[in-house]
Amino acid sequence: MKTFKIGGIHPNDSKISRDCKIEVLPVPQKVFISMAQHLGAPAKPIVAVGDRVKTGQVIGEPGGFISAFVHSSVTGTVKSIAPRKDLAGNCVVPHVEIEVEPDEWAEGIDTSDTIVTEIPQDKDFILGRVKANGVVGLGGATFPAHVKLAPAKQPDFLILNGAECEPYLTSDYRIMMEKTAQIIVGAAIMRQVLGGPRTVIAIEENKPEAIDAMNNMVRMLKDNHGGYDGIEVMPLMKKYPQGGEKQLINAVTGREVLSGKLPADAGCVVQNVATALAVYDAVQKNMPLITNTLTVTGDCLPAERQHNYLFRIGIPLSYIAEYAGGIPDEAAKIISGGPMMGKAIANLDATTVKGSSSLLFLTDAQTRRKKASNCIRCGRCADACPMGLEPFLLYRLYNAGNTEELENNAVQDCISCGCCLYSCPANIPLLDNINMAKGQVMGIIRARAAAAKAAAEAAKVEQK
Amino acid sequence: MTQTIIWTIAIIAGLGLLLAVILYFVAEKFKVVEDPRIDEVEKVMPGANCGGCGFAGCRAFADAAVKAPNLDNNYCPVGGNEVMKKVAAILGYEIAEKAPQVAVVRCNGSCEARPRTTEYDGVKSCKVKAALYAGDTGCAYGCLGCGDCVAACQFGAIHMNPETGLPEVDETKCTACGACTKACPKHIIEIRNKGTMPKNQRRVWVGCVNKDKGGVARKACTNACIGCGKCATVCKFGAITIENNLSYIDYNKCKACGQCVFACPTHAIQFSGFEPKQVTPKPAPAGEQANKEA
Repeated sequence: MKTFKIGGIHPNDSKISRDCKIEVLPVPQKVFISMAQHLGAPAKPIVAVGDRVKTGQVIGEPGGFISAFVHSSVTGTVKSIAPRKDLAGNCVVPHVEIEVEPDEWAEGIDTSDTIVTEIPQDKDFILGRVKANGVVGLGGATFPAHVKLAPAKQPDFLILNGAECEPYLTSDYRIMMEKTAQIIVGAAIMRQVLGGPRTVIAIEENKPEAIDAMNNMVRMLKDNHGGYDGIEVMPLMKKYPQGGEKQLINAVTGREVLSGKLPADAGCVVQNVATALAVYDAVQKNMPLITNTLTVTGDCLPAERQHNYLFRIGIPLSYIAEYAGGIPDEAAKIISGGPMMGKAIANLDATTVKGSSSLLFLTDAQTRRKKASNCIRCGRCADACPMGLEPFLLYRLYNAGNTEELENNAVQDCISCGCCLYSCPANIPLLDNINMAKGQVMGIIRARAAAAKAAAEAAKVEQK
Repeated sequence: MTQTIIWTIAIIAGLGLLLAVILYFVAEKFKVVEDPRIDEVEKVMPGANCGGCGFAGCRAFADAAVKAPNLDNNYCPVGGNEVMKKVAAILGYEIAEKAPQVAVVRCNGSCEARPRTTEYDGVKSCKVKAALYAGDTGCAYGCLGCGDCVAACQFGAIHMNPETGLPEVDETKCTACGACTKACPKHIIEIRNKGTMPKNQRRVWVGCVNKDKGGVARKACTNACIGCGKCATVCKFGAITIENNLSYIDYNKCKACGQCVFACPTHAIQFSGFEPKQVTPKPAPAGEQANKEA
């Protein structure tokens, strides 16, 4: 079985909520829809206070090239448009507050359950729908999908990321089990846009049911419909961080994304299975991205309180926690996302966004940091780093303030997966410091690029 | 035997002489001409190499000062006017005296005023903490309390007060080099004039940088500036402006009368170097007041 070559760790996968079917989460009386649910420039709100909006109506326009449309996830009246505190407690991004009424869908949206397997041929039509329906990558980075689906050169591979390598998370697994056909149709649509590359649905071996379900559905679609050739399911060995773009490319194709390069340079496009589902909804049903699946889990929750919810964007996390039975007493920390790369929730009143994937309750014993001791240069972090970096060295260089050497040692390649921190027997806060170092070095690199650009332009002007 | 010794000495001496001559010419050829005044200026500098002037160190400052046409943009905050006078004398420039300055912490969200909403367990560094989230209190603007400013200060002028959880500046040691202002990710430390006149130490400032609306700010911290504008109304010198729900006192205009201190309902305005006395406004004639109320 394949996996990526360098580094990686094997945390306990703790997929406690794997057998919990997706439940539809009811909508509270008020939702708050954030204008920054994607990577890049925040969207600009185009509704005013007092406006009545329908479910699926556009309420935010892209604020730049790398940006996305934002749609209303409910029907109701706009009560306010004001900054609201996000997960981290920063109060910067405007949120549209909507008082909820019974659903009334915007025109042109197909809300039926029928699975449309006919794949549209027109690329511009597909890309137009993906863009207009605000689809973003749901693997974590929320990068606008229409940008990623229009690469400069034709890729050789389209990889569907069903690895879900983060412990605890089961939302991708559940959609692979319950919305198998839609995901494969979504994959076929993306394959169509990208000019028919080899399409691989990569799933880790700890989800054998999903692998079987996918295999059966691919076979069935191939037998009964045209346009599904070149799609295959590939089981991968279980290893964290296999769901990282560069690691997945390496595992599936054996190719390396070189330092400072993008997956497109290695001839690959990677999309999450949840994104494929969103693409299916957007293209086949003209349904904007206003729902996603979220896991409520944690070791301190009993089996009956583990859930996978289909939620509307804009629902406050506190409402979800309340609906799921309240915050357990043992919970010391709540995380949005997986335990490895997720963000701690400092403000539970923050709302769900397109990329929300979990509400994970961790106990004090699971999260409290242990006292750091000295580095004994055992090299475990270097063994674990999937990018082939030397975390112990980067840590020392950061503390010495040596940005030049940090850049030479490729700190900017760090993907912040946390393998170094996980493997360090001395509990040294490697990742926190390396993240800081990365920010510093990236700033220097950007400043240098900007200076070079300005110099080139000045030279051009002089020539004229 | 003797001859060998003589020959050895002669050869060594000859070689030495020859190499010395070569070295001399090479040194002449590749001589770096440097203004001798750079050395002179460097000698009078404090030698802290703190970078407070904006240059890499005292030598870099001296170099820049000698090359610059005047001293308007080059000022050593550590040495202050005394050193700058000496530098000006060496270079033959004239300088305007600058008021002595000091670092001021613009946050008074002590542990009591600003209850902790979350517990921070990560790396003890404000920079790391600020990158992770808004902070362990309801206020997203205030001091994070991990002491990056203390670590940045080369002069030992800042220490954390364990009671309030806030940094305190020792003004006898502070040189206003500005290292702490750069180290603070929340930009709560400001370099302000030490006093209203170069001679005194009377100063007043707003001890808050929270730009949230009044209610939100107050909920997070009882000492927060709520942007009510009472201070601006009471100020006779037009030194106070309200912007983004936050009051700011211009130290160039402030005369340290201290009336704003009494006007502030949240005690967000702080003072140092004097004890402000409230000037009770003359009671308006009874008839006039009745008219107003009517």
